[in-house]
Amino acid sequence: MLLPMFDFHEPFSVQEALELKKTHKENSKFLAGGTDLLVHLKKKLISTDNIISLSKVKDLAIITKEEGSVIIGACTTMSQLSSSPVIQEKFKALKAGCDNLGNHLIRNRATIGGNACNASPAGDTLPALLVYDALAILENTEGKREIPIRDFFTGPGKSCIQTEEILTGFRLPIPPAHSGAHYIQLGKRKSSEINVVNVAAFLEYDPSTLTIIKARIALGSVAPTPVRAPKAETSLMGQTPEESAFFAAGEIARRDDCLPINDFRGTAGYRQAMVGVLTKRTLATAFDQAQSLS
Amino acid sequence: MKKIINLTINDQSHEIAVEPNITLADLIRYQLGLTGTKKGCDTGDCGACTVILDGDVVNSCLVLAVQANGSIIETIEGLATGEGLHPLQEAFVEKGAIQCGFCSPGVILSAKNLLDKNPSPTEQEIREGISGNLCRCTGYKKIFEAIESQSS
Repeated sequence: MLLPMFDFHEPFSVQEALELKKTHKENSKFLAGGTDLLVHLKKKLISTDNIISLSKVKDLAIITKEEGSVIIGACTTMSQLSSSPVIQEKFKALKAGCDNLGNHLIRNRATIGGNACNASPAGDTLPALLVYDALAILENTEGKREIPIRDFFTGPGKSCIQTEEILTGFRLPIPPAHSGAHYIQLGKRKSSEINVVNVAAFLEYDPSTLTIIKARIALGSVAPTPVRAPKAETSLMGQTPEESAFFAAGEIARRDDCLPINDFRGTAGYRQAMVGVLTKRTLATAFDQAQSLS
Repeated sequence: MKKIINLTINDQSHEIAVEPNITLADLIRYQLGLTGTKKGCDTGDCGACTVILDGDVVNSCLVLAVQANGSIIETIEGLATGEGLHPLQEAFVEKGAIQCGFCSPGVILSAKNLLDKNPSPTEQEIREGISGNLCRCTGYKKIFEAIESQSS
């Protein structure tokens, strides 16, 4: 398969990248890991005359700590994230998402910013970003803005990034004590498959009363975008963190919080059933972690 | 417009003019004539085009040649020395881990990269280490045995 002809630009700073974007506007694409973009170009699903490579913009591929939160650069690869001590220790659901994306060849190139901008409902890192309440950091030549990740996705393959904007990274608040999170994906073959259903859950409990004080659940592959499960989350508030509450939350998520479709990967009914099971399991593991970390 | 890039492939440095829409796989095969790197799916699913780029295995069909500017690359041709095959290649021959041979360069490079980073991988780690390389002769068992025989 041949790639169409294009001009290749290689800026060294975000500012330079934004200037290029301002010049070429819709007729340009940012290239991060390339594991989706180059495939889409080869298959002629998209076309562009200008590729703006971000691999030389060094500030974008780092993980930094900043008063109560961690900033993950948009061009950080899955492999980098998986081997980062702060991600391993504080953001286990995100690590699980990174470990489950494609195979190691893909993970060495694929970036978290690319995964978000590609905005697939099945994206492996996206449910984790949702349950950690990440903020997407967007920049244009005028300045910066940060928007909650739950407002970031607007449809399959679509996000709220404006034409002359760039996603520079994510701000993830460091989870409090007595909290835990987990992610499970279900696909046909682990190494290279688009998920049938993928679920992440975050749980914080009060150890003195043994009740849940915060719950966030995110569902992938069951709606046009990755979504939160607000009704299931509400049902957990004030509950004792135990199997029966997790099961009930799974049932609500399956019934009220998702709207899957039938396709060749699975039927809508199967997906709903799996939302129930995976919600229950991610919550149970999140609670186990919350106990072991406190 | 062509761009001049510099890269080191198997300890040899090259200065080459490439079109921006040429992938690293095509550069290696068609401009440099190193046809040990195979092209299967061309979409990053099969791993036949695996090369080691700056110490990490990648699908060279999903890297633009211009992106590899300044990089150090190892292809299957770089493994054998004047003395003969690389021990890992010997092990593949010994264990009968090669049938049609199309996936072998990619599998061997993935295995070499795994063993370089982790000289005594567990069974699970070996399986994960080659999970990006598809073999359609159903030869995974012997491939696994060949890699296991080289772990310390």
